Amino acid sequence: MRALIRGGGGRDLRADFFRGLALWFIFIDHVPGNLLGELTLRNIALCDATEAFVLLAGYAAGLAYGASLDRKGWTFAAAGLVRRVGTLYVAHIFLLVVFTAQVGFSAAALDSNAYLDELHLDIFGEQPYRALLEALLLRFQPAFLDILPLYIVILLLLVPALPLLRRPGLLLALSGACYLVVRFFELNLPSWNGGGWFFNPMAWQLLFFIGCTLGYTPRRGAVRAAAPAVPLNPALALAAVLVLLLGVAALTVAWHRPELLALVPERLAVLLTTIDKTSLHPFRLLSILALAYLLGHAVAADAAWLRSPPAAPFVLMGQHGLPVFCAGIFLSFLGRLALEVEDGWAMQLAVNLAGLAAMVGIAVVGAWYRREAAAGPKPNATLAAAPAGPRAGAATESLPVPAVSPRTQA
Amino acid sequence: MFALRPALLLLLGALLAPAAARAESAACGAPPELLESGAALPVTARAIATGRLRVVATGSASVLGPGTSGPEAAWPMRLRALLEARHPGLRVEMVVRGARGLTATDTAALIAEELAQGQLQQGGAVQLVLWQAGTVEAVRGLDLDDMVDVLNTGLDLLRAQGVDAVVIDPQFSRFLRANANIDAYRDMLRLVAAAHAVPLLRRYELMRYWAETERVDLERAPRSRRVAVADRLNDCLARAMAELLQSGMAEAQPAPRP
Repeated sequence: MRALIRGGGGRDLRADFFRGLALWFIFIDHVPGNLLGELTLRNIALCDATEAFVLLAGYAAGLAYGASLDRKGWTFAAAGLVRRVGTLYVAHIFLLVVFTAQVGFSAAALDSNAYLDELHLDIFGEQPYRALLEALLLRFQPAFLDILPLYIVILLLLVPALPLLRRPGLLLALSGACYLVVRFFELNLPSWNGGGWFFNPMAWQLLFFIGCTLGYTPRRGAVRAAAPAVPLNPALALAAVLVLLLGVAALTVAWHRPELLALVPERLAVLLTTIDKTSLHPFRLLSILALAYLLGHAVAADAAWLRSPPAAPFVLMGQHGLPVFCAGIFLSFLGRLALEVEDGWAMQLAVNLAGLAAMVGIAVVGAWYRREAAAGPKPNATLAAAPAGPRAGAATESLPVPAVSPRTQA
Repeated sequence: MFALRPALLLLLGALLAPAAARAESAACGAPPELLESGAALPVTARAIATGRLRVVATGSASVLGPGTSGPEAAWPMRLRALLEARHPGLRVEMVVRGARGLTATDTAALIAEELAQGQLQQGGAVQLVLWQAGTVEAVRGLDLDDMVDVLNTGLDLLRAQGVDAVVIDPQFSRFLRANANIDAYRDMLRLVAAAHAVPLLRRYELMRYWAETERVDLERAPRSRRVAVADRLNDCLARAMAELLQSGMAEAQPAPRP
């Protein structure tokens, strides 16, 4: 498995590893009732796998589309982004169909009409045409299908912002201003039910663009410079530790000793309830940045364990983020159905092992295919492969990097 | 002598509470930690001592006890019977305001209505509000922040008007768990209740426990037994609420000296 990991060209395996870990956590957190859900990031920090995923998605996008921009210009990079958005949109609609089938299946299996009288989960049963239209417009996002729409809008925002990757100060100023305006005026994209999106893209874009500026590595002649990193500063590190400790303390009190909250002034305690995820509350933003900062300095880019067998599945998952993410969401549907039938420890174990194995399997297939494609046709297969079509030929001719890399990296 | 009696009764109540908790908990077998209030209910304690308690139970359909044998079998009415049986001479007036599909915004308006009405009536002020929230929001994917805002405002208002409150979270259901993002809403309800130092009846955890230990599992009950199981579920919920109230009233007392 380790042989399939791409590590050349100064690729930062830390980003891959933590992205893989975040993808796994997203799978776990998307299966309510999963006992492993008690152990994911959301339990100890006021940020969770979603924040990690968006930050690292920004990092990967800054790296891949930034390189594409420098090599072939804005039009080419923008076209790559739009193609990627198209893929994401189709994936989202596919998952929506799966979700609808799941609701129908479990409603029938449980004969729930008699029980959950007040539930109107079966929106497709009540207003099928309207629901379909609203889903296509991304104004109807069923539970657990809220990350891909966020990702789609954020990637679209990157299209006009691409040239600003070269002026990170300006990019972050614009992005930060947008974040502040959106939070201050409580703006959000509309959803069908009259509210807003569960993840507000106009607020979350800030985290994504921070990731972009961290991932973009300007070309200096033929060589790529190192990715910009925030230097280690004792005061900053201390502040980061304090932010995370505050988060741990708040969550520990809230979940395990809620009666202690009665001891702090009520106004302060109520502040805790206003730390929203929808528009990425500043404390959640600070938490994920603090975590990234500390991990970035605690784990050396060339740390040996990143290349160890236990880390390999996560690095591979991180290197094939999009297919693994979509598969993870799909698998979480199956996991939820399985736990709905039976949620004893044996089923818990089966769901988690099968889920992880399938996600790693998809990453392995992706990595293998990529490597084989890059290696060119096998000598004895050249004749057979040649008439297969102009596309295969074109892909191998333009090797080693360009045609494939921007798409598979982000 | 006359003035001493309520105090004496309350002291007795506090002393007897642990024994009662064991007996009740054995009835439906709920884990004791789910029946601890974690916050005081002083207004309720005083009202029970004076022999009159006016309660408003509000929420979406479940306050009406859907699927039970009748309104008397729904948990609010069962709770009323339990309280009156436990405190001889006590008169409990239970006002149930709920309907299918009501959000926290809707129920907050109902609470305000009841408070206003209670103040007009002689001696009819509401002392305790049992506020169920979160199910409809989770099912429809409504804004979490809106729910939090409404609850924060509503609980502040109740505190300001000298009314005790207990928050109730959604029902447990495997179907709900698999098809709605229920945890996000449950977590927020828990946080809101803790921030206002208001007890939370963890109905989801209670019902999950009863389902997992095969005591009461409405979702898997055969059709022929469904009404009986719904009655039992409502009775168990009422017992759990009675325990929680007892714990909250005990917390309102100064700790007994050893």
